[in-house]
Amino acid sequence: MLQEYFKIAVKNLRTRQLRSWLTILGIVIGVFLIMSLLSLSQGLKNTVLQQLKAVGTDIVMIMPGSVSDIMTTLIGSVKLSEEDLNIIRKTPGVKIVIPSVYKGEIVKYQNESKTVILNGLDIRNALDVYIDDMGMKINTGGWAVPGKREVMVGSLVPTEIFPGMKINTLINIKGKQFEIVGILKSMGSKQDDSMLGMDLEIYRSVTGERQGAPQAVAKIAAGYSVEQVAKSIKANLENQAKRRAGRQGENSYSVFTSEAMSGIVGGIMGIIQVVVFAFGSIAVAVGGIGIMNTMYTSVRERTREIGILKAVGAKNSTIVLIFLIESGIIGLIGGLGGMIPGLGLAKLIQAFGQVHPIFYIEASVTPGIIIFGLLFSFGVGCLSGFFPARSAAKLKPVEALRRYE
Amino acid sequence: MPEPIIKLENVWKIYQFDKVELAVLKGVTLDINQGAFIVILGPSGSGKSTLLNMLGCLDLPSKGKVFLDGQDISRMSEDALAQARGQKIGFVFQQFNLLQNLNALENVMLPMIFQGRPEAERKKRAQSLLASLGLQDRVLHRPSELSGGEQQRIAIARALANNPEIIVADEPTGNLDSMTGQKIMEILIDLHKNERKTIVVVTHDPIIADYSNQVVHIKDGQII
Repeated sequence: MLQEYFKIAVKNLRTRQLRSWLTILGIVIGVFLIMSLLSLSQGLKNTVLQQLKAVGTDIVMIMPGSVSDIMTTLIGSVKLSEEDLNIIRKTPGVKIVIPSVYKGEIVKYQNESKTVILNGLDIRNALDVYIDDMGMKINTGGWAVPGKREVMVGSLVPTEIFPGMKINTLINIKGKQFEIVGILKSMGSKQDDSMLGMDLEIYRSVTGERQGAPQAVAKIAAGYSVEQVAKSIKANLENQAKRRAGRQGENSYSVFTSEAMSGIVGGIMGIIQVVVFAFGSIAVAVGGIGIMNTMYTSVRERTREIGILKAVGAKNSTIVLIFLIESGIIGLIGGLGGMIPGLGLAKLIQAFGQVHPIFYIEASVTPGIIIFGLLFSFGVGCLSGFFPARSAAKLKPVEALRRYE
Repeated sequence: MPEPIIKLENVWKIYQFDKVELAVLKGVTLDINQGAFIVILGPSGSGKSTLLNMLGCLDLPSKGKVFLDGQDISRMSEDALAQARGQKIGFVFQQFNLLQNLNALENVMLPMIFQGRPEAERKKRAQSLLASLGLQDRVLHRPSELSGGEQQRIAIARALANNPEIIVADEPTGNLDSMTGQKIMEILIDLHKNERKTIVVVTHDPIIADYSNQVVHIKDGQII
């Protein structure tokens, strides 16, 4: 019987085509918004978490500034000083400290010049950490020799930034020649794969950034509790800062284990998604009110028709069902109509990001997100149709029949 | 004596307008027996349409009782009443009351959908009903493409869809010219004679009043 009610509902919608389409448009806009934003924020979350997962569990990240002030840290106005790095080195349980240093420089290869992120790597002391804990692997060629002007490039450099780049050729950075000795395997993120890695000492002399680092990574020695060492690093850094407080003002530090980092990032991304969803939902709610309006109008117009249906034996539940199917169809078509361009836009933004290295974002299009979108819009449709449907069902047949158009 | 199909027992219908009460039916008692052909006559405003709505179980009385096949309809749930109405009573209205966005066949099949009949059966019965009323060429037409007489015949086919025991017709010829109206009345008479249907008609038509074996005169909400 459901099939019959479905047919009746579709006929009703087609009788009022313009209004049906306008109502559908209201839902399309909301779902479009939700789907594109949700897909992008989910993609962002996936990318970031995937990168963090690649980091070993015995790794601790140290940043200046507190978590509440994380933007300052990210923008990089605060740095870890050389003194800070030494304190971390001296903390019991710390096996090795690697400063994370990077800077954008203009790199010239053959006749092309482009801005590429340079990454200073402590190859002399920490090669195994880069390989084992950070997932850097050589695809072709080999590692740069410490102290020599040699570079390794990320996997995207020879394909997208300088197409056709080969090893054993030369590039020019700030007037100095460097030899490309290796191409890395993909590390799974656009930023990492677009960088140019060189020995730390060489990096410092080329960029002129001789001291400190925006952040540092410490590997914890076997047999120590990562959590515990992270705490003592933080305590040592802050004690030192307090001692200096008289002249420089107090500094705070954030020390994360890789697990805590994943948790924090996952949390932030979760909040972003909730906010995105909330805003999109407002748009869908407006669309839902549109459905309700249309359905109430429809009930008024069709009062007589409802009376006829009841006279020939339609139950209240049948009337409710027919109206719910109508509003559900509006919701579902609106959902479908919003989803396709919404996810399309997200994919378009992703494609745009692949051309521009700085603006990297991935759009996540999963069956889950599609099913969720369709169920959500269908649900909004049914919910908005419920009250009009109930008011239709409540009409007394004799009163409904008495109303003449 | 067999149980009447529809039995009205001291039925009152009172409408409340703010502080004014208006009694449209004032204690009507009436039995509709199997196989009867009843004509309800009365001036406009006499309550004859309200009486017909009571007989058709479209309305509930303010006071008194209506029995459909021996069951008190005010004790039935709305859904059960709708189901019983769809099964036992066929309606023919003055304004035809066809669904405009369904074609003739779909309009006739509608009451059978609500009784849960399978599609093949619905289609077969609807087609044969339309054919028996001379509408075999109009099956796929919408009501707006048909004449008044054709629309009323579709409405009759719809009323017969579930093979009800009783047909309730509210001025079925009121919107038709006299020639067409006469044909519609002949169809109703034929249903009574040959199909043994019980028929209740509100009409001004003297011919049908002559044919009827039971004329009910109503005035000021009372049977006289």
